[in-house]
Amino acid sequence: MVKKMNNKAQMKIQQMSFMLIAVTLFFILVGVFFLSIMISTMRKTASSLEEKNAMLLVSKLANSPEFSCGNSFGTSMTGCIDFEKLISLQGRKEDYEDFWGVAEITIRKIYPSTGNIVCDYSNYPDCDIIEIVDKNVNKQPANSNFVSLCRKETDGSIVYDKCELALLTVSSEEKRT
Amino acid sequence: MSFGWIFALIAGAVIIFLAIYFTAKLGQTQQELRSAEVGTEIGTLLNPLETGFESAQTSSITIPAETRIHNKCNDFSGNFGEQIIQLDQKSFGKWSETTTKVSFENKYIFSDSEIEGKKFYIFSKPFYFPFKIADLFYMTSANEKYCFMNAPYDIENEILDLNQSNLITEGCTSADTTVCFDSDKCDINVDYSSGIVEKDGEEMYFVETVEESKVLMYAAIFSNKEVYECQLKRLMMRLKELSQLYGEKELLNFNKGCNGNLRLDLIELSDMASSFGSSEEIREVKIKADVIEEGNSYAYCKLW
Repeated sequence: MVKKMNNKAQMKIQQMSFMLIAVTLFFILVGVFFLSIMISTMRKTASSLEEKNAMLLVSKLANSPEFSCGNSFGTSMTGCIDFEKLISLQGRKEDYEDFWGVAEITIRKIYPSTGNIVCDYSNYPDCDIIEIVDKNVNKQPANSNFVSLCRKETDGSIVYDKCELALLTVSSEEKRT
Repeated sequence: MSFGWIFALIAGAVIIFLAIYFTAKLGQTQQELRSAEVGTEIGTLLNPLETGFESAQTSSITIPAETRIHNKCNDFSGNFGEQIIQLDQKSFGKWSETTTKVSFENKYIFSDSEIEGKKFYIFSKPFYFPFKIADLFYMTSANEKYCFMNAPYDIENEILDLNQSNLITEGCTSADTTVCFDSDKCDINVDYSSGIVEKDGEEMYFVETVEESKVLMYAAIFSNKEVYECQLKRLMMRLKELSQLYGEKELLNFNKGCNGNLRLDLIELSDMASSFGSSEEIREVKIKADVIEEGNSYAYCKLW
């Protein structure tokens, strides 16, 4: 009789344990589900904020001190980028890597174009692409803006200003969802 | 009471406790996320306020909930230091403190360490020393009114032009933060000729700059000493980098037969900016900056 009752109690405890494990698993699954939704939303928000930053930055970047022509080429101009400053800036890529909070900043000379030559001190000014920031991450579609790329030029006797058409491109980091 | 009941009660209590605990944690995480999101958005919204040819730009930010913005500054990290924003928001009448910090290397916000409200005014001005270093952002809460008493004519005009409802020049009340230019009896006292702003019993030093001469004075008025000194140091860090950049540009111009003879001065300016300790040294840096500005203004190939 006592043995039968013990068996019944053991059975009930076992049932209860299974029930508890099932309830715990259920809550864990619900938790994981909500957590994954939350992380996905968070990544989307982060990506959209970064994209917004890139979009707003591209319209103002040409006027920032590291890029702008100032009064170097006569009067002040908006959307004017100083080629000489860019070449120097390109040599300091590491210093400025996180400065603007974007994944890529590139200036591509579009007219007159000489190909796809990446600029450095040795080929300046006969080159097309100047990479200021180029992080090794997934990038969002680029935001771009037309700018004047100006420099001092010489024909041996006189020094004059030369401005060419270029495209300033800014990309933000794509957070994987 | 049977064993089954006791077991069920204990297990139920544990489950309810865990549910409450994780819900509270989730709420806290949401607050942290919201703080990071709003902080990043504030930084992003400062981009359109960057000046081109304008002497100043003004804007406002309205946040749905009562918010406390902590303006922090770090002048140790990297080449440019960091502007750090941290937010606490009021929910159900209680401040929920967060630890999430959002940082920017290219922003310079001048305000008290802690400002509170729903609506915040921001105006920006370019800082030239002698070339453009950055745009400075002055952030104030709509809850706090600054009353500029007997301000010189040009400052009064500038304040009125900003059209910010919390910056007034007449009709001051006792609740306003008073800014005086001709006495030392106000909350903030400006000794314009000596270049000193006295606030909370502490002195901050400023100089007139080439263009937009009063940018540092406004910076000292709207921030506390800790923020002002740190941001000024960060501006000197950027001055150092830009001096080197212009030094290299000078070399490129020299190769084209255009010598402005500013390279050595720029190296000296970069060294001074590098060893900059506090606003008391700003006058010495200004002397060098003025020499370079004069040299550039006469140069055939201007550097900026």
